[in-house]
Amino acid sequence: MTGGGQEKKRRSGTLNVPAIVGFGKAAEIAKRDMPFESPRLETLGGCLWKRISREIEDVTLNGPAGNRLPGNLNVTFSHVEGEALLMALRETAALSTGSACASGTVRGSYVLRALGVPEEEAHSSLRFGLGRGNTEEHVDRVAGHLARAVRRLREISPFVQEARPA
Amino acid sequence: MSWNVVDYGAIVLDHYENPRNVGEIEEADAVATVGNPACGDLMKLSLRVREGAVAEARFKTFGCGAAIAASSMTTVLIQGRKLQDLEKITNLSVAEALGGLPPSKVHCSVLAEEAIREALADYRRRAGLRGPVESSGAHAAIGARDKGEMGV
Repeated sequence: MTGGGQEKKRRSGTLNVPAIVGFGKAAEIAKRDMPFESPRLETLGGCLWKRISREIEDVTLNGPAGNRLPGNLNVTFSHVEGEALLMALRETAALSTGSACASGTVRGSYVLRALGVPEEEAHSSLRFGLGRGNTEEHVDRVAGHLARAVRRLREISPFVQEARPA
Repeated sequence: MSWNVVDYGAIVLDHYENPRNVGEIEEADAVATVGNPACGDLMKLSLRVREGAVAEARFKTFGCGAAIAASSMTTVLIQGRKLQDLEKITNLSVAEALGGLPPSKVHCSVLAEEAIREALADYRRRAGLRGPVESSGAHAAIGARDKGEMGV
């Protein structure tokens, strides 16, 4: 037998049949719902960005505003480190920094760097992925928590000048 | 992901949520800036020194939750301590005081130690002292400087 050589070489691989069937079904549903789910997610993503950019200063949307995966947002929150922000939202949303920091390297997301985002700004970015289960209520809650967390973390940030003496 | 919020202990979470001694001391007696924002970590530590001891310590940090917690804990550990005692505070002291850090976050405590070392070096540079603050002569000099120049 050729292949991965699993189970003491008795198999070349273990195929997860239920998962294969499930994935096929999921693809079928995704294709069926795409005509209305895509525009819905696009609108929802637009709502999230609108709220973020309205409520938080010094934010940048990475990538084009319109021509992107529906429901995907990658946002730079200047002067705030992405993982710290992630931690503030740990009970609100499941997000990622999109950076390789988590795997032990110190470099920011190579995708953002390829887009011309400076390294330190790449460390200040979060990736939001909205999906089928998300609603406007979720967007509201995340935007509200984000605004509070960014404000708090900027008070700690050495890149933000204090308004009053320490 | 090699870390998770659940990897953080209660003390880390507390110092992240409620960081102690945030800020910058105006006309500080020692200032240290360590780390590199391009690597996702930058810590600024400023000290007010009175009579050879840290009268006040403040920090500002750009970094992950563990970096913020380590910075906060550092200010707590060094405040009120004699300068020569700061030499004994290492990254392990900071990590221990935080109740431990996940392996991928130990570098945050290293950053804190670097800040202490750099602040001490900066203090000595300003005071015109050389080497570790060990001899009683050096202490006397520090004390004299505090009273003389800082107008205590």
